[in-house]
Amino acid sequence: MKRAPLLLFAGTAAGFIGILGFHSRQAPPTVAAPQAGSGASSASPSAAGRTPVGPVAGQGTVRTALGPEEQYGYGVLDVKVTQSGTRITDVSVPLLQTAEPTSQQISEQAIAMLRAEVLSAQSARIDAISGATYTSAAYIQSLQAAIDKLPAR
Amino acid sequence: MNTWAASAAKPLPTATSSGKRRLPQGRRSPAPRPALAGAALVVAGIGLGATTALTITAESVGQLTATGGLATFAGNLTGMVGTYLALLMVLLVSRIPFVEQVVGQDGLLRWHRRLAPWPISLLIAHAVLLVAGYAQAAQAGPWHEVNTLLFSYPDVLIATIGLGLMCLAGVISIRAIRRRVRREVWWAVHLGMYLALALSFAHVIVLGPSFVGHPLTRLVWSVAWAATAGVVLAYRVGLPVLRSFRYRLRVAEVRPEGQGVVSVICRGQHLDRLAVSGGQFFFWRFLTRDMWWQAHPYSLSALPQPPFIRLTVKGVGDHSAALAHLRPGTRVAIEGPYGIFTRHSQRCSRALLIAAGIGVTAVRALLEDLPRSARPVVLLRATRRADLVLGTEIADLVKRRGGQLHELTGSRMTASIDQYSLRHTVPDYKERDLYVCGPEAFVTGVVEVARSLGIPDEAIHHEAFAL
Repeated sequence: MKRAPLLLFAGTAAGFIGILGFHSRQAPPTVAAPQAGSGASSASPSAAGRTPVGPVAGQGTVRTALGPEEQYGYGVLDVKVTQSGTRITDVSVPLLQTAEPTSQQISEQAIAMLRAEVLSAQSARIDAISGATYTSAAYIQSLQAAIDKLPAR
Repeated sequence: MNTWAASAAKPLPTATSSGKRRLPQGRRSPAPRPALAGAALVVAGIGLGATTALTITAESVGQLTATGGLATFAGNLTGMVGTYLALLMVLLVSRIPFVEQVVGQDGLLRWHRRLAPWPISLLIAHAVLLVAGYAQAAQAGPWHEVNTLLFSYPDVLIATIGLGLMCLAGVISIRAIRRRVRREVWWAVHLGMYLALALSFAHVIVLGPSFVGHPLTRLVWSVAWAATAGVVLAYRVGLPVLRSFRYRLRVAEVRPEGQGVVSVICRGQHLDRLAVSGGQFFFWRFLTRDMWWQAHPYSLSALPQPPFIRLTVKGVGDHSAALAHLRPGTRVAIEGPYGIFTRHSQRCSRALLIAAGIGVTAVRALLEDLPRSARPVVLLRATRRADLVLGTEIADLVKRRGGQLHELTGSRMTASIDQYSLRHTVPDYKERDLYVCGPEAFVTGVVEVARSLGIPDEAIHHEAFAL
């Protein structure tokens, strides 16, 4: 088996390139398409740095709705949305359970950023936070369901 | 023909007692198919490449640049590659027939020994790097983080126990330590490796960034593990059990060959169907109260002559010494045959066979299997003349094949095999395949001499035995 190292190397290269090729052909996991022209959402953590649109008082009744519990790879969460009149004035996560502390940490950071995005976009059409793709997906899922429970704005 | 089976048959009334001299011959092991082994190697490589790529694609730039991100990524990568290599180490010793027929059990073990430090080192690095990375991310001290990892992450504690078992197996295999440890202890610790891998499986699937949220990757990984377990069970347990039941070997006679050497002749069923080549060995398990739990490798000292099969053993260890006291009728379980010390390895038409000590057994069986055209030259080395066992059988076989037999007796100083003596006794050594069998140090020495004489590696075939 003199050619053994060559065969092994050829196989390794083939496997490596194969997976990379397969991965790059797949579209990146978009959870919800960002609204064209909204410009409000960004996938970068700098989204958190933007001044969030604060809750606007007054204007009609205040309603809340709780989205379903969403299981995701590292845990489970649900999203509660508060609407005052036609504006989303607050979003919170009453339930967040993760498998382990690091996931908890990542999720908490991501949820803060996601909240800012929602308040500025005023909908569930926001970008996922990179590095917290699954948390974002679950968050958006639950959020959309909660918004759907509220009367149309 | 040799008469060892005929005389073994004497006390057994059912043996063929007709006057015909035609001795029944068994089947020979199939020729190796290097293309298949090459394909297996490519598949192993694809797996390695895919594992590496999966770890990289699971990572995002954001994660990498975060605090502790680099250490965490390195930890994930070493963990995945280390686990994959550990799986390959198990496959290397799983005795997959079509691979074993090309590389030989000996060769597979050599690869296993040479490569095994890699997965263990990588997995230790995996543990250290992840503790460092997580500690940085959580802004905690490393010991605090170890505690957190062990007790609040799912399945990490049992995986750590697995890593401990793995390190133990690694440490006990270090040459200096291995020599001081009983074979059975070493074997039992190695068995723990399967447990270690099983324990580590859960934390990979539950926490690994390449698997969380990737059901397909999870499925493929799980299938690969299940397949590996299946291969190990099939070829290390299933096939040997099946063969042992099929051939139903029992000790027929234990015959002294002189100087603490005995031949154990076993009688079995369907041995004409057992495919084995001269020079191959089996792991033998003699089912007595003291010995049933250990299997030891011994070469056949002759081709089977159904319904008989013979091994010849020198009493050097506890096990081999105990064989002299085997009672006829003892059941025998076998694993094998293994080894590429056979005529399939021949590259030239002629052969040179060198054996020292009890290594003569494999050479004796190989000699019987070599074609007449091999015109074998046989060199036997022993300290004393009395140690040259099976001498008459070998002389007979050499004569029938038109070969030459040289017996070298004396101390290592006076009767050594060196460049000069080899050139002198076998002038046409360059047109011959060299087969060497004996104690490890002897084999290494002869192989070195052969290489220095310019015999190509492809023409050097060796089988070493350790105590």
